Amino acid sequence: MNRYLKIVLIEFSHFSRSPFKITSLIFYVLAVIYGCQNGYALIKKHNDEIISIKSGYKSHIDKMLVQYEEIEKGSIKKPRRDPSVPYWAIWNTPSYAFKYPSPMMVFSLGQSEQYGYYKKVSNWSTTFDNDLAQEIANPERLSIGTLDFNFVLIYLTPILLIIMLFNIGGLERDMNFNKLIYLSNVTKKNWLMARFLFYFILLIILLLSLLSFYGLLSGVFQNEIISFFNLLLLVFIYVLVWVTIFYIINFSGSGSPDQALKMISTWLILCIIIPGAFHQFSSLKHPTNYMTDYLDVSRDQKYAIFELSTDVHQSKLVESFPNLKNTKYAADTTVDRSIVSKCISALVNELNKKVASQIEKSSEDKNQFIKRYFLFNPVIYFQNKVNAFSKTDYYAYRDYRQHIQSIIDKKINFILEDTWNKVIIKKEKYIQYVEIFE
Amino acid sequence: MLTIILNEWKILVRNRAIVYITILFILSLVSVVWMGVVQNINQKEIQQSAQKHIRSQWDNLKPMNPHRAAHYGSYAFKPISILNSLDDGISAITGNVLKLEGHVQNEIVYSEASQAISLSKFGKLKSSLLLQYMIPLFLIFLAYSSISSEKESGRLKLLVFQGVSFFKLIFSKSISIWFYGLFLLTITISAQTFLGVVNQEVLYRIALIFLSYACYYYVIACLTTYFSAYLKDNTSALSSILATWIIWTIFLPRIWGNSVEKFYPLPSRQDFKATMKEDRSKGIDGHNPTDERREKLKNRYLKEYNVDSLKQLPINFDGIVMQEDEEYGNLVWDKHFGSNYAIYKSQKKLYQLSGILNPFASLQSLSMGLCGNDMVHHLDFLEKAEKYRRYLIKELNDKHAFGGSKTGNWKWTVDETFFKSVEGFNYRSPSIYEKIVHYIRDIFFLMTWMFVTTLLLRFNINKNNLL
Repeated sequence: MNRYLKIVLIEFSHFSRSPFKITSLIFYVLAVIYGCQNGYALIKKHNDEIISIKSGYKSHIDKMLVQYEEIEKGSIKKPRRDPSVPYWAIWNTPSYAFKYPSPMMVFSLGQSEQYGYYKKVSNWSTTFDNDLAQEIANPERLSIGTLDFNFVLIYLTPILLIIMLFNIGGLERDMNFNKLIYLSNVTKKNWLMARFLFYFILLIILLLSLLSFYGLLSGVFQNEIISFFNLLLLVFIYVLVWVTIFYIINFSGSGSPDQALKMISTWLILCIIIPGAFHQFSSLKHPTNYMTDYLDVSRDQKYAIFELSTDVHQSKLVESFPNLKNTKYAADTTVDRSIVSKCISALVNELNKKVASQIEKSSEDKNQFIKRYFLFNPVIYFQNKVNAFSKTDYYAYRDYRQHIQSIIDKKINFILEDTWNKVIIKKEKYIQYVEIFE
Repeated sequence: MLTIILNEWKILVRNRAIVYITILFILSLVSVVWMGVVQNINQKEIQQSAQKHIRSQWDNLKPMNPHRAAHYGSYAFKPISILNSLDDGISAITGNVLKLEGHVQNEIVYSEASQAISLSKFGKLKSSLLLQYMIPLFLIFLAYSSISSEKESGRLKLLVFQGVSFFKLIFSKSISIWFYGLFLLTITISAQTFLGVVNQEVLYRIALIFLSYACYYYVIACLTTYFSAYLKDNTSALSSILATWIIWTIFLPRIWGNSVEKFYPLPSRQDFKATMKEDRSKGIDGHNPTDERREKLKNRYLKEYNVDSLKQLPINFDGIVMQEDEEYGNLVWDKHFGSNYAIYKSQKKLYQLSGILNPFASLQSLSMGLCGNDMVHHLDFLEKAEKYRRYLIKELNDKHAFGGSKTGNWKWTVDETFFKSVEGFNYRSPSIYEKIVHYIRDIFFLMTWMFVTTLLLRFNINKNNLL
């Protein structure tokens, strides 16, 4: 046992005498720091933007409150969009849906650059509106990708391992003194393992320290401790998988160049070719969705609803929202166009929800297709796992869309209930709305 | 020199492993091109059917007020470029659907990348992926020991003593490996030409793609041979060239790509919208009858037609206001979108400068540009779609104003004959001749790298050290 411990320690002196390996390790550490810093900067940017939006809508609320006071005093006339009507009061109740960045985002930007993270929600909103588009960014830069910790872990860690490990066992073969080593009562298997162990421990300690530092900085220990430990476990497994692959290569290798060739080819196949092939297959099987179903709802079917008569609108509303039967207006015998027309968005929302669920289903089918082959495409499995822990994956943004939909539904329910109950909105009621949607 | 090249090729052909790998490469390249072409055809059909669907809805619109039709709007679906099967560049990242409507210039939405979980960070398995990553790496493996193993075995001394010029020997070895790269490149380009759609424009682009990759392979072959000759053994040569390859393909593009955004920052969406809204509010509000600027415009038209009230006007003043509002809006969009586009272009130029250090960046930029899938082509699509939007809305506003209705008559409608008469959006991708100016830097840097690596081989190898 002591002999192998000694080999591990001797490997340290080998490592410390190799400027090429030390420089590579320094570059790697810098890349981890740069990646985490990018994540940290994005968290800060998202938070700052959210704060700035919130401060903007606070001034709007103040203006509305003054307007209510002046209307109640009679010092101004009611404007065209009368705020005492529930529809306009809710229209003027600022409600934003935010996707607050998880502190774990410091470790992976994931798909966060593909989606918007704030949205002004009205009763006419949908979960596929234009304003949910990604932040303004150079598409070529997005295509090249950002150097975040996830990228460093998934793609650069194996490269660092290649640099560290390619000549282990190979150098001795190159110089033809490999057989001498086995004469000193060590097996090839254990000798290689002991040397690999040094680099494995070195890398794990390094990654754990850097992750813990950035975890502390971004506040994962307050809110995301489970995700953080899951990430640590994942890092451990991922590094172990690569070390094992390289161990097998070196065990059967016939010299440093041969090992380097095999290692870099394995990296190329696992990190570039296989993911690229699955990317291509998934595009063939599930081509880009041009969202024509959604576009049809947002135009033709919406316009078809507008064309209907007030009577039909009313009966459709009662059919879709049976609780309206218990409202004041439902007891009236005459049809009031001004009440019914303010509730049409509820009918459109029902259509939007239906088409949105179809779109989500088609995306989920594509996701399931990709996931089905994770066994053959392991690198992408790890990449998506890190994104999931960092809440920057497709599903985090699907949850965000569901959150937006719940706000739309809530707005519509208030419009329906209060309009059909003929509620007149005063300052206090408006404040209630504001509090509900805050 | 030719003898050395032929000799090197004979050695290559005699090596069974290389023959098998070559066959594997040829099969992969041809099948990847074929898959790309099939995907292109599928996606094109879907895109065209979406565009037809939207157009048929427009053609069959029920009688409608023109302004309502402007709100109804139309959609432009970003087409697939013909050479998408070679390199799909940024097409998975950018949106594909652009709404064209009155009062607003929208942004393109619904990218492929937003429709599923994350996939490859290096793009789909297109020919470009093999040509940019696999083949150069294979050339490196062929070339790294080309001189050092001759050196180690002592054959180099023999060759020099036989009177072979030292530069010719090293250069010929580089050229023979470069030819191997060109051979695989030719296979890919031929497959694309046979399987894909070909016209004059495509041929020009393919020829330039061939030249770009040829330049890059030359750089790789020469540089690897240089390391092989310059460094003391195989291991040093291989580790140095691999380190260079990793820095070029993995590190630099990302680090430089992120840095250009710091040099030329883009506004946040929130700021972009807020400043645009502020500028927009200074114009006429087409839907607000109490607007002051509307009053001025009204007085101008009353004077021009020599009448006292809008009712007496022979035209519909509402249409005039709407168009005036559009014209002002267009100035605002041009200012703000134009500013963003200018920043994109500055960022691209700065990114292209990384070609000084990294020929891979120049190759990547050229490859996606020549395949019609880079930012330059994307902006061209956006600009043409916006031009069409302005045409569409002007047609509708003019019909509203001069079609025979009177001011205030919002119930006045036009029928499908008019809607059918409005031209549809037909996007023609720009020719490479129009856009080549954007790639001059890339071409220049690739050629400079060719020149520099040749000079390295010619002047920077110490004969005494080698022997």
